[in-house]
Amino acid sequence: MKSSSNSSGGNTLNLSDVGAGAEVRVSRLECAPTTCQRLREMGFCENALITKIRGGADLVCWVCGTRVALSARLAKQILVEHVDGRS
Amino acid sequence: MNQDGAKRWVAVVGNPNAGKSTLFNALTGLRQRVGNYPGVTVEKRTGTAFTLHGDALELIDLPGMYSLSPRSPDEKIAWQVLHGESKGVPRPDAVLCVVDASNLERNLFLVTQVMELGLPVLVALNMVDMAEAKGIHLRPQELSQKLGVPFIPTQAHRGKGLVELRAALGQGLHRPGPRQWAMPPPLAAAVGQIAAAWRESLPAEVTAEGKALELLAGSNVGPGGARKLAAGWRERFRKEAYDWSAAVIHARYEYVRNVLGSTGVLGGARIATWTDRIDSIVLHPVAGWGVLAGMMMTLFISIFSIASYPMEWIDAGFSWTGLFLEQRMPAGVLRELLVNGVVAGVGGVVIFLPQILILFFFLGLLEDSGYLARAAFLLDRVMHRVGLSGKSFIPLLSSYACAIPGIMATRTVEDPKDRLTTILIAPLMSCSARIPVYTTLIAAAIPAALVPIWGKAAAFLGLYILGTGTAFLLAWFFRKKMLGGGSPPLILELPPYRRPAIRSVALRMWERAIIFLKRAGTVILALSILLWFVSSFPVRSDDPTEKLAGSYAGQLGHLLEPIIRPLGFDWRIGIGLVGSLAAREVFVSTMSIVYHVGGEEAGLVAAMQGARWPNGESIYTPLTCLSLLVFYVYALQCLSTVAVAKRETGGWGWPAFMMLYMTGLAYGAAWLVQIVGRALGFS
Repeated sequence: MKSSSNSSGGNTLNLSDVGAGAEVRVSRLECAPTTCQRLREMGFCENALITKIRGGADLVCWVCGTRVALSARLAKQILVEHVDGRS
Repeated sequence: MNQDGAKRWVAVVGNPNAGKSTLFNALTGLRQRVGNYPGVTVEKRTGTAFTLHGDALELIDLPGMYSLSPRSPDEKIAWQVLHGESKGVPRPDAVLCVVDASNLERNLFLVTQVMELGLPVLVALNMVDMAEAKGIHLRPQELSQKLGVPFIPTQAHRGKGLVELRAALGQGLHRPGPRQWAMPPPLAAAVGQIAAAWRESLPAEVTAEGKALELLAGSNVGPGGARKLAAGWRERFRKEAYDWSAAVIHARYEYVRNVLGSTGVLGGARIATWTDRIDSIVLHPVAGWGVLAGMMMTLFISIFSIASYPMEWIDAGFSWTGLFLEQRMPAGVLRELLVNGVVAGVGGVVIFLPQILILFFFLGLLEDSGYLARAAFLLDRVMHRVGLSGKSFIPLLSSYACAIPGIMATRTVEDPKDRLTTILIAPLMSCSARIPVYTTLIAAAIPAALVPIWGKAAAFLGLYILGTGTAFLLAWFFRKKMLGGGSPPLILELPPYRRPAIRSVALRMWERAIIFLKRAGTVILALSILLWFVSSFPVRSDDPTEKLAGSYAGQLGHLLEPIIRPLGFDWRIGIGLVGSLAAREVFVSTMSIVYHVGGEEAGLVAAMQGARWPNGESIYTPLTCLSLLVFYVYALQCLSTVAVAKRETGGWGWPAFMMLYMTGLAYGAAWLVQIVGRALGFS
C-alpha cells in the first residue's frame, strides 16, 4: 500500500465539509503517521464506509458500528468521497 | 492451577467500552487487590476467580486498547503485561478477550493481534443482548470454528454466561493455529526473512511472525541479525513509500470482514437509536452545556442535602463516644489523648465520608452511563483553546474525587506534553479531601439562619469553578507558553448510553470507603495523636488558651504568624496549615484539637465563630474565611499527590515545581483577597 501522502483524484473532499447524515468512503488520510495508524485501527481505513452523524466544530462519525468523535482539524485531514460518486 | 501446580494467570483484554471491567468484577466479585478509579481503568488490576471445579485463577484486568501498538502509557501497561515485562506479574498463561458482540468488526481486529502472542485465547462474546437488539444474529460456534478459538456468549452486567466462561477457563485452552489473514506480498517477504532469522532462538510457543512485525514496528528486542534485517526492510519500505503498517491493518480488517460476512454477523446499516436522540440534546452546542451545568449543580446540591443525614448520625456517634469516654475514664493524659486527640481528630474527618461517597456515586453513574465521553467531547473545544485535548477532561474530572487517580488517569493521554500539563493542573481541581475544609469554612463564614442550603451549594460550586478556571488558565500558560508545540487532535469513541450497573458503582464506592477509612485509621489517626501531643505539651498553664499558646504547636504557630498575618490568619490557623501539609482534610481535625471541641462539626464552627484577636475582633470574619478558602483551593497540601506525581513524571523536578507554584499561588491569591476585601470596606 502506498503511503497516504500520495495525491488522488479530484472527487475528494475533506470530512469536515461533508453534511451531517452523509455516507462517505474514506479515500486518503493526511495526518501524522501515528494519528493515521490510530484512525485506521479504529476503522477509518482507506475505502471504509463511514457516516457523518453530527457536524459542527467537532464532529461525530459512525464507523465499524461505533460512534467516534473527531476534532474538526483532524476531520480536515481525512479525505473522503461520496458513495454515489457526488463531489 | 497449571501443570507445575502454580496458580494460573489470565489477562483480560479488550477494546474500551467492551464491558471488560464489568466482566472482571462479575468474575472476581470483591476479591480484587488493586482499586479501580472513576473515569477509566488505567492500571492493571488483579483479582481471584474460580473455575467450575473450584480452581483459583488470577485474573489481570488491563486497560482498554484498540491494538497492540501502544501509544499512551496505559496501553503500554497492557502491552508489558501481555509480553511478561510487567513487574510483579508473570507472563499470563492465557488471555481472555472481551469483545462487544454488537461491534465485532473492530473488536475482532484486536483479537487477531492477541492470537499472535503465542498464548491460549478465549473470547467472551459480551453484550449479546445489545447485538440482538441491533438485529445481529450471533453464531458463536461458527465464529469459534473460523477463528480457531472458543467464543462464549456473555452478558456481564446481568451475570449471564459466567458459568460457561468459568467452565471454559477450567478446561485446557489451546494456542490458536497459524495466522489466517493474508499478508500482502511485499510485507510477507520481509516478515518471512526476519522471522526465519529469529525462529530458532524463540521458544516453540512464540509466533515468529508476530515478533517480526514488532521488530518492523521499531522494537529493539531480538537477535542482532533479525534487528538488522528489520531495519533494512524499514528503510526499503520508506524509499518505496510503502506504508506497511497500513497494509497490515487493512489485511486484518479484510480478514475480519470475510469471517463476519461468511458467518452472517457483519453489522447491518446504521439505524437511529435512543443514543442518537439523547445525543441530539446532550451534544447540542447550547443545550449540551445546560445539561452539563445541571448535572454538576445536582451533584453539589446532593453533596450538601442528602449527605447531611448520615453526617448527623456519624457526628452523633463520635459525640457520644467522646462523652462516654469522658464519663467513664478518670481524668488524665490518657483520657485527654482519646477524647481530644483520637475522637476529635478521626471523627472530624470520618464525618465527611457520606459526601465523598456521593461524589463517587455520581462519578460512577456518569462513567457507566456513557456520559463522561460526551462531556469530554463537549469540552474539547474549550480544552483545545488552552492547548489540551478533550482527553484531558476525564483525568481532570477524576481529580474532583482525588488527584491521585486523576494523575494516574493521565496515562490515557497520548501526547507527553499534554500529559505533563494535565498532571501539573490536576491538583487544582477541588478534590474530596477539600470537602471537609470547604464545608467547615463555609459554615463558619455564612450563618445557617441567613442563607438557604442552595446558597451554600452555590458557594461550594463557586470554589470548584475558581479552581477549575485557574487550572485552565494555567494549562494555557504551561502548554502553550512553557512547554510549546501543538496538541494532538481528538479521537474519542462515544459508547452507546447504557443503564449503569448499580453493583459496579456500589463496588467502587465500597473500595473508596475502605481507602478513606484506612487513611482515617492510619495517617489521620497518627497525625491526630501527634497534633494532640504537640498542642498539649509542654503544659505551662491551666487556662486552655494559654496552654495551647505555650505548647510546641502554639510556639510554631506564633513563629508563623508574621508570615500569615497579611492573609488574615492567626497563629491557631497557622497550626492548622502546618498540620494539613500532609493531607488537607487534617486541617479540620487539627482545628478540632486546637479548639478542644471533640468530633462535632457544629461545635467546631461555633468555636471558630467565637474566636477573637487579642483586641476582641472576630478572627473568622467572612473575609478571612474567604482568604482561607482561596488558600485551600490552590495549595498543594497532599504528600500522596506529590508522591504519585514523582512516580508518573519520573523524577522530583516537576513535583517540586508543582509544590512551589501552588503554594505561591495560594499565598498570593489569599493575600489579594485580603487587599481587595479591605479596599472594599470589609474587615
